[in-house]
Amino acid sequence: MKIRIKRLISQLLFLLSANLGALKVKTGFCYPFFYCHSCPYADAGCPLGTVEHGVYRGNIQWKFIFYPILLIASIGMIFGRAVCGWACPIGLLQRATAKVARKLKRKYPVIGRIGQLRVERYLRYTKYFVLLGLVIGTTAALGFMFTDICPIGFLTGTIPTLFFDSNGFVPSPFFYVALVIFILFIILIFTVERGWCRYFCPLGALFALFNKVSLLYVSVDQDKCIHCNACTNVCPMGIDVPNMNRSPECILCGKCIEVCPTNAISFKVK
Amino acid sequence: MHKMLAVQIILILLFSGSLGGMLLYTGVYDDVKSKIVSVLCLGCLKLNPKTHLSFTFETANGEPYPNFVLRNLSKGPVFIHYRDDVCSACDAMEPIVKEIFGVNYSIEQCFFKTVNFNGTNVTFIHINLDHSDKNKVDSFKIYDRNHVNGVPMFVVVTLGYDRTFVKPCYSTGYAFLEKNTPQAAKKVLLSMIEDGIELYKQNREGFT
Repeated sequence: MKIRIKRLISQLLFLLSANLGALKVKTGFCYPFFYCHSCPYADAGCPLGTVEHGVYRGNIQWKFIFYPILLIASIGMIFGRAVCGWACPIGLLQRATAKVARKLKRKYPVIGRIGQLRVERYLRYTKYFVLLGLVIGTTAALGFMFTDICPIGFLTGTIPTLFFDSNGFVPSPFFYVALVIFILFIILIFTVERGWCRYFCPLGALFALFNKVSLLYVSVDQDKCIHCNACTNVCPMGIDVPNMNRSPECILCGKCIEVCPTNAISFKVK
Repeated sequence: MHKMLAVQIILILLFSGSLGGMLLYTGVYDDVKSKIVSVLCLGCLKLNPKTHLSFTFETANGEPYPNFVLRNLSKGPVFIHYRDDVCSACDAMEPIVKEIFGVNYSIEQCFFKTVNFNGTNVTFIHINLDHSDKNKVDSFKIYDRNHVNGVPMFVVVTLGYDRTFVKPCYSTGYAFLEKNTPQAAKKVLLSMIEDGIELYKQNREGFT
């Protein structure tokens, strides 16, 4: 079976497992990926929301900080950032929008240039600032939480809630700010392939830290590599694959492995 | 090579062992379940539940009115403010509530005080769901009229005439009470309390 099919099955199964609340299943686990616990069918907690509980207004509750971080660290140490490529429902959404993003990139060269800008590699650090600044910093110092404006919360929590019970709720003061951010999020994922994972996902930032030391990684055999760049062209994260050397950006999706004409790229364990 | 593998295995054992230990020996699983997963996070939703300013007799879950409310109802209407630790809307509404009733307390405190509100005794009760006893926490579901399971929730318990008997009745409001700012919500909250007082005055003679 091709990697892309295995990955699709995996992503669909994880999406299903995230929504077992529809069967009245509510657990005390945290999702190891980005999904909002305010989704009507959610069965676990958002790891970022849990960390925010742990630092809210400087009232430190270590259990809420360590629990999701240890969960992510345990998974990250084994699989690296594979969660982004194989499990995250937002990754699945971006997989669906990738074709449009690629078409737009071909049709409008200006969009394609976004990925080639010199500042692009620095833009990728934004997600670390989102993690440290908005998830932890402002929550601890001001009580302003990332979840107040989170576009994923809007997508997986607000929209389904309004769909099922449009008469039961009214917009909160943050609603319109979050709506604007959500629209920008949609524009981003339709114009830059995996734009959310590349630049803004704070959970991706956390997982990225483990790519350098994870057991599973994508390896390039330099002796076999003919530098055709087929892997780099197909990489949804825009990585220079032959020279990536356990890049924190790699989501282990395996697209490069499938496309390599000399089988120089493979998953490795160690 | 072997060193790297050893470090990886040590880190995996350290992280997964600590996670397993947390799950086995601390209450974190139950806390996440009860305080995060089962509670509707209104901040995450960016929505506030609609407020029912009308008064009703039937409790939200069919359970009877809690004793701590009934005991105080003989003195006057009862105002209950429910919140939890991590809730930005609760933090925004807290000063408004304190100002209306002229009370002061810490956010963790389960606080009761009978105050004089425009010449009528009103019992003010502050319940933090993360720090109160089971009896108080369970009362949340009794008054959660929209089954929202979200905070802040404000309840005014008063007396109403139900065809033949005077009985306790209540009205429930959530978050900013359908307004955009805490200051605008204050007016709605005041009107809720005044309605409760008016009903109480009309019906107190018939309450036994």
